[in-house]
Amino acid sequence: MKKTGFLYDERYLRHDTGPNHPESPQRLKAIYQGIKEADLLPKLTLIPAKRAELKWIETIHSKNYIKRFEAACHSGNTTFDYPDNQICAETFETALLAVGGILDAVRLIMTGKLNNVFCAVRPPGHHAEHDSALGFCYFNNVATAARYLQIKWGIQRVGIVDFDVHHGNGTQHIFEGDPTVFYYSIHQHPTFAFPGTGRVFETGNGEGVGTTRNYPVLPGQGDKEYQFLVETDLVPVLSAFSPEVIIVSVGFDAHVDDDMSDINLSTQGYSRIMQRIVALAALYSDGRLISVLEGGYCLKRLPELAANHVKILLNA
Amino acid sequence: MFISKIMTRNAVTISPDADISQAREIMSENNFRHLPVVYKSNFLIGIVTDRDIRSVLPSSHLADDNGMEEMKRFSGIKIKDIMTKNPVALSPLDTLQDALILLQKKHFGAFPVIHEQGKLIGIVSVRDLLREFINVLGIEEPGTLLCIIAENKIGQMKKIVDAITEEHVSFGSVLVARYWEKGKRAVFPYLLTQNIAPLKRKLKKMGYTILDPMDWYMDHLPQND
Repeated sequence: MKKTGFLYDERYLRHDTGPNHPESPQRLKAIYQGIKEADLLPKLTLIPAKRAELKWIETIHSKNYIKRFEAACHSGNTTFDYPDNQICAETFETALLAVGGILDAVRLIMTGKLNNVFCAVRPPGHHAEHDSALGFCYFNNVATAARYLQIKWGIQRVGIVDFDVHHGNGTQHIFEGDPTVFYYSIHQHPTFAFPGTGRVFETGNGEGVGTTRNYPVLPGQGDKEYQFLVETDLVPVLSAFSPEVIIVSVGFDAHVDDDMSDINLSTQGYSRIMQRIVALAALYSDGRLISVLEGGYCLKRLPELAANHVKILLNA
Repeated sequence: MFISKIMTRNAVTISPDADISQAREIMSENNFRHLPVVYKSNFLIGIVTDRDIRSVLPSSHLADDNGMEEMKRFSGIKIKDIMTKNPVALSPLDTLQDALILLQKKHFGAFPVIHEQGKLIGIVSVRDLLREFINVLGIEEPGTLLCIIAENKIGQMKKIVDAITEEHVSFGSVLVARYWEKGKRAVFPYLLTQNIAPLKRKLKKMGYTILDPMDWYMDHLPQND
């Protein structure tokens, strides 16, 4: 088996968000095309989607929420909780397939069959809260993976790095009282970007104080600022935590050409961040890294961004 | 919004003849920084702050528990000796806006709220006012803030609101601020959506300027205004 996995499945295209929605199936097609055209597919272990068992979803979301979500999808409604969250009859199943595929990728890593993996899933997850959907997200994919790592595989310390341009409010809130999961997020400043959380002073609650860290960047900032804070903050902070596994919430929406944000990361800037995180995983986590897609809406840039992302995982 | 809806009722009070150590204890137990001083009939005669108390103590070390012995030496000092007499008070029918302006003029951290007859009915602190202001901004709900530059003439707001409503986006709040260019206004809609890019494109197409967030100023007046 090749050591880098690639989770992708055409069933992830079935979550139909209607016309003109930025979180479209085209995003995933662009990502797949980019990886294919860079001739990377033969080097990767392809992982198909798998339906998640509800018991794993229930480690993160309330039973009542899961029921509400399923009922909404089957009711014929086209939105759930907020008008942003476009759904169709297939959304619930697709969300289960996203989580299940990621958990299967985790299993392959924990049994030593894979070193790292890129999970190109839809719908995304980092805005999803214990009891509500938000910002195109329904099940919190990375949060479920973190709990699965702990419960099923006995991992003590999980590090989650989120560099989607939006703050992962859901992931933070789920783990902010938990010292065993470190949530580190870099995102556009909440005064100027959705969802309006992720300020520097949000550092965790109770026993979890110190294992939540937010680094807002200002509109117009880009490679230079990201690189500086990765080197001077993310690397030392995560090194001190020493995660046994690293999960990355990767959002390509901080790219200069992505109009969902005012952040100006270049394609190379994205690569540099990922190289640093992969190096951290090599040092502290035995190379075990699970990268999970969140946002990223510029169809023109997604192919190169995804291909570069995968190349970095292959070179780990 | 009326102060009667914002204030804390049944405020903890202290008598003018109480000892300062008593006030200090009440404050630290409840995490208060202001105590209204009242006669038995609840008639407001003053206010005492944690700063008033600190300023009569010889050293800040006395604030620790081991300072209790030392505290006793100052037990002769009564509240009436250090309180601010006839403090600025609000009426229950004053408004949030009144309190915000008053706060900017005076440097107080809290206002007692009294009836016409001078009886204390509550207290409103800076924290209470900020809570209401955050509520007015709507920023406790997830959303995105935009800044649109519009002509300062009737009908602009309608066009903006219509354009946003047509996209099925709801509003958390809308602020309108002065802008440094004459004849223009800055409109700040806080929108309960992540999907902001199509809206920006639409508004630009309609001829509006979407201001770069790094150029936002809430009250950037022309130099010679």
